Formats: sequence, structure tokens, C-alpha cells
Amino acid sequence: MCGVFPGKTPPPRRAYVWDLPTRLFHWALVCCVAIAFVTAKLGGNWMAWHGRVGVLIVALLVFRLAWGFVGPTYARFMHFLPTPRALRDYLQGRWQAQGHNPLGALSVFALLGVLCLQAGSGLFSDDDVAFAGYLAPLVAKATSDRLTFAHRLGEEVLLALVALHVGAIAFYALVKKRNLVAPMITGWAEGRPEESTRGGGVKPFLLAFCLALAAAYGASGAWLPPPPAPAAAEW
Amino acid sequence: MRKHPIAVLFGSFVAVALSGIASAQVVGKVEDQIRWRQSAYQTMAWSMQRIKANVEGTFNKDQVTQAANVIAALANAGMGALYQPGSDHGRGWRETNVKPEFFKEGEKVRELAQAFNREANEMAKVAAAGDAAAVKAQFGKLGESCKACHEKFRKEEK
Repeated sequence: MCGVFPGKTPPPRRAYVWDLPTRLFHWALVCCVAIAFVTAKLGGNWMAWHGRVGVLIVALLVFRLAWGFVGPTYARFMHFLPTPRALRDYLQGRWQAQGHNPLGALSVFALLGVLCLQAGSGLFSDDDVAFAGYLAPLVAKATSDRLTFAHRLGEEVLLALVALHVGAIAFYALVKKRNLVAPMITGWAEGRPEESTRGGGVKPFLLAFCLALAAAYGASGAWLPPPPAPAAAEW
Repeated sequence: MRKHPIAVLFGSFVAVALSGIASAQVVGKVEDQIRWRQSAYQTMAWSMQRIKANVEGTFNKDQVTQAANVIAALANAGMGALYQPGSDHGRGWRETNVKPEFFKEGEKVRELAQAFNREANEMAKVAAAGDAAAVKAQFGKLGESCKACHEKFRKEEK
């Protein structure tokens, strides 16, 4: 697959595919989504953490969306658009490139999309017990109720997508004998060095990071005016 | 004057029938039951918000006690009587959110309701003692008991 190199000493057959910010994003997102899931199940005072980790997820998603435009080669959305042609090539075994394969790309876009909807709806949700998303005060209760319902549906969709994602990785490991986890940890995958990811320096990183911070601030509702002090009531 | 046996029998029938009616008296039409239970939950929601505000902001023991007592009073009010057969559908302030399973799984409902009662009464006790940290912890447990029933028996689409 990687071509035959003439000469006696084979060059290193690996390429740097996943840059550090992309990897950090990935594993941070895994942790945050796991925490969000568990705290939602525990309920009670754990819901406060559900809200906090939700804001962190908003920041991570905004970072990744920005990184998909200004990041290095394989992090860019334009690089792994799952076009019908790419999908056909892949399914017929003609696709050969680094980065997300077209099916994997579908999974990436689906996960990112559903997570954005989850995080967005969560900000306006209200569990009618003792917790509401930080931006719930901005919308009417009926709107909040609808978004809460969407948030609960989204949980099921997300679980299914995560199962599919993990299942695909297991399929690659067991059937196709290809380890997809190690590259997401180390950044290195089988391939030619010249295929390594390029671009995405410090400036683009700072840009994405600042956008993420701004999103977190927006999602936290810290900018909302505090509720007025109650009028004194003697009864 | 001795009563005729038939009269005694008849009299006891009437007494049994009357007492039967008294103990099985359903108060309110289905739409009333639904509206009252929705009102009760909204009142609890108000009280939960009050406790939450006190736990997260400045703690005021009197407010917390008022709110906890309201929740405990409603928990002890016998609201089970507002879930008569046939009240799985209907409109109070709006369409009821109760799932039909609620009326089929009596044992589970009782278990969840009793857990809520326990936590609500404990909440009132803890509130009266006035320790903010204990109030926060008990508030969490109370919320969990609300959620446990919502997860099982409350429709989310509205």
C-alpha cells in the first residue's frame, strides 16, 4: 500500500498524521462526554457538573470547528469531505490516502454535528427538578421544554453513533488488523514521511483557542444580567 | 323494641354501603385531578428553585424552611388519590405527561413515591436544623428522587 522503496535501507514507514491539538481535542472530548453522560444519569447535585462539563464541550467543539478550517492537513474538513465519489472509491477498495477514510469522515461529521446539537440544546434545557442550562433564562419555558426533549433524543442518537464509532475501530483491529487507536494517541500512523500533516501553527491555534474561550464564556451565561433583588415581602 | 332481623340486616347493608362510598370517594373529575397534580408539581418546582437559590447564593434558613415545608406538605398530602384510573389521559392546565405504565406498575410507583416522601420529610428536617452544607446534600438526594420517577413515568415530549 505504501509503495516499494528501492535501496537497501528502507526509510521509516510512518507519517505524522494527527497533530497534538487534534489528539488532545479527541481525548478531552471522550472524557467530557463520558462525564456528561454519567452526571446526567446520577442527577441531583451532579447536574451542576453536567452543566459545567457541557460548557467545556461547547469550547472543545468550537475549537475543533475552527481547527477544521485553520488546522493542519488531516484536521481540515475540506480534506476529508465524504463525497459520494470518495465513498464509492473507498467501498470498492480504491481509496488510498492518509487521514480519515471517507466512511470514518462520515462518522466524524455525524458525531460533531450531533454533539453540537446536544451542547446547543443542553444550554437551553430544563430538567424540571433543580437544573437548567445556563442560557435557559433567555427562552420561553415552552421552547426550553422542546429543546429538553431534543436533548434527550440526542442522547440516544449520540450513544448509537459512539457505539458505531467504537465498533468500527474494533472491526479494524480484529478483522482488518489495523490499529487506529495508537495513531490517535501518538500521532504516528503507517505511511510515508512525506505524507505527514502540515500547517496549523501557533497563530491558527491561538485563533481557534480564543474562539473556544469566547464560546465558553457565551455558553456559561456569565454575561446575563443577574436577576433583580427581591422586593421585601412581609408575608 | 327489638328490631326485626331483616331490618338489622338492611341497616348493616346501608352502613357498609355508605362507608364503602365514603372510603372510595373520588374527589374531582379526571380533569380536576390532572390540574391539581400539575399545580402541586409546579408548587414543588417553585420550592425547589427557592432552595436551590439559597444553596447557591446567600443562605437564608427561613426561606429554605418555608420551601422545604411546602414540598414535605405536598409529599404527605396523599397525592396518589389524584391518579385515579382513567386519568392517564386528559387535560388539566395542559395535557398530562404521565405515562400509561404508571397505572400498571403500582409496586414500582409506590416504591418511588415512598422514596420521594422520605427525602421530602428529611429535607424539611434538615432545613429546620439550618446547616447549609447538609441542606445542599439533602437537596441533591431529594432531586434524585424526583428524577427517578420522571425517568420512569413522565413523558418528555410536550
